[in-house]
Amino acid sequence: MSTVMKIENLQAKIGDKQILKGLNLELEPGKVHAIMGPNGAGKSTLSKAIVGHYDIEVLGGDITYKGKSIVDMESEERALEGIFLSFQHPVEIPGVNNAYFLRTALNAKRKHEGKEALNAAEFLRLMKSHLEMLNMKSDMISRSLNEGFSGGEKKRNEILQMLVLEPEVIILDEIDSGLDIDALRAVSEGINKMKDGKRTFLVITHYSRILDYIEPDYIHVLKDGKVIKTAGPELVPYLEEHGYDGIEED
Amino acid sequence: MNLSSLKNANANEVAKLLSARDREAFIKRFLTLGLPHKKTEEYHYFDVEKILNKEYKTLEYIPKTIEDGDTIKIVDGIVLSAPKGLRINYEIAKQLDIMHFDPLYYVGHLLSPRIIKLEIDGDADIKIEHHFTQSDTLINYRIVLYNQANRHATVQENFVSEDISNTLVIYGYDMHIAQDSTLRVVKLQTMKDAQYSMVASHKINVAKNANMVFKSFDFGGDQALQLLKVELAEHAHIDAGHLLYLNEDSKRGIVSQIIHQGEYSTSKQESKNILDGQARGIFDALIRVEHSAKFTKAEQNAKSILLHEKAYMVSKPQLEIYIDELEASHGATTGQLDEKQLFYLQSRGISHLEARKMLVIAFANTLIEQVKDTRAQERIKNAFEKVFYQTNKE
Repeated sequence: MSTVMKIENLQAKIGDKQILKGLNLELEPGKVHAIMGPNGAGKSTLSKAIVGHYDIEVLGGDITYKGKSIVDMESEERALEGIFLSFQHPVEIPGVNNAYFLRTALNAKRKHEGKEALNAAEFLRLMKSHLEMLNMKSDMISRSLNEGFSGGEKKRNEILQMLVLEPEVIILDEIDSGLDIDALRAVSEGINKMKDGKRTFLVITHYSRILDYIEPDYIHVLKDGKVIKTAGPELVPYLEEHGYDGIEED
Repeated sequence: MNLSSLKNANANEVAKLLSARDREAFIKRFLTLGLPHKKTEEYHYFDVEKILNKEYKTLEYIPKTIEDGDTIKIVDGIVLSAPKGLRINYEIAKQLDIMHFDPLYYVGHLLSPRIIKLEIDGDADIKIEHHFTQSDTLINYRIVLYNQANRHATVQENFVSEDISNTLVIYGYDMHIAQDSTLRVVKLQTMKDAQYSMVASHKINVAKNANMVFKSFDFGGDQALQLLKVELAEHAHIDAGHLLYLNEDSKRGIVSQIIHQGEYSTSKQESKNILDGQARGIFDALIRVEHSAKFTKAEQNAKSILLHEKAYMVSKPQLEIYIDELEASHGATTGQLDEKQLFYLQSRGISHLEARKMLVIAFANTLIEQVKDTRAQERIKNAFEKVFYQTNKE
């Protein structure tokens, strides 16, 4: 199998506590990988380690992306190379205009790719179609970034950023948490629109509900800082019935 | 001239040193306060001795014909141009405060007995440009501004200096905001390090039902202090906002006294400070509510961000209250940029420098956006960015 990202024997800690204890995972390009596991298994720590979060100290192992180690890269470099994390709890930034933020991020990426920056008019045209698709009000991009947004609006805004930045590896950390059915449907539509057979998704979730909307190719079960089982989507109903304790390690 | 020679001078010597005649009340008040030094409360955090203990050249202030122009252009204390129809002239100052807390308010008036008088008797948008062209010089002048009753005016102040050094500017306003009028003052100051130091000592009288808005944006280097005394009559209101962005080893800030004298007077004072390098910021602000000022509302808040471990902010919001029937609040916080917010921006490919700038601007924006004129807002934002990038490089 070809891989876009390979995680080998990854060990990482937050503070004094080691969370990832020799995690191995390979992501196949164009596929949807779901990471499932009980609370405290290390799911969010894995996503943070991939994007270079300041909380995480990598103790050993490696993460390679398109054949290149990224563990020593700054988080913005990882983003410019095409790695995107949709946050479980997007932070509110009062005073930073959402449209200004999005255009700055997009133009940083375009500059990295040797492309011309988009001016304000070009950017707004691009926004219009994305906003309609996500059923977002147009005033949301003129407000401060995530400030006063409901849970659903924050998640939609994460997907909007994903649509604008067109990353290659997309990590969705508990994207379904706090969403009602309508919001879940809109968010899933946004995600499915990005599925083009080339982009890779890592869907981190507690529950199988999101997998009704985003069909996974692989299910990886994470427990105690390691991937203990990898299987196809047929594993989902088994997990629903037996829980994580009933899983036999590969 | 060396202003430190005023230190132990008696009334006659002060009058002689400052060429001040017929100003007994002023000299008396100055002698009571004394020349400021490092133990003077209002100047405690400011290197006042450093700027006073210097020999400066002095200028002769000979008024020139005021040409027509878009702005009031004041060059080294002399008005060169003003918009046609504006009432501006020189005269001996009257109606001055004889109980100001700042000794340099008196030094300023004693040095500049002939003030620049500006009368606003229509709804107007006035721009004032202060130009400084002389090195090693004491530049002193005072402006007395009358905003007439029922008038609603805006004054935008900017400061321009040529490539000068070691100059001290002592200037300031006496503002009289008449009944039922509104005056908005927006002051923007940026300058390179070591060009000039400034002490700007103001007195603002806000009459019954009048409204004063005073917003200062200070992105300067070197040393500068604004000293503000405001008196509020019945139903008068002041909305004061101060934004400081300092770097390197500059020391700048504001010392203020807002005095509620009339019933139902209201004040809102907000200070935001962003300090980098070894800069020191000063916000030493007192709100006093006198016995006569029942049903007052007073609100005071200072927030500061330190971008460097050696940066230092002196935040002293203070309330002095002599009555029970009022609403008052004050507070101060000092912290650093939020790591979670920085990371969020960087995780979208925005560089660390750009992310810092966005957060710093976001912090400042709430004050900048209070300036109603969008062109003035843009000018302030651009001035901020220019200063930010001078000291923050990739």
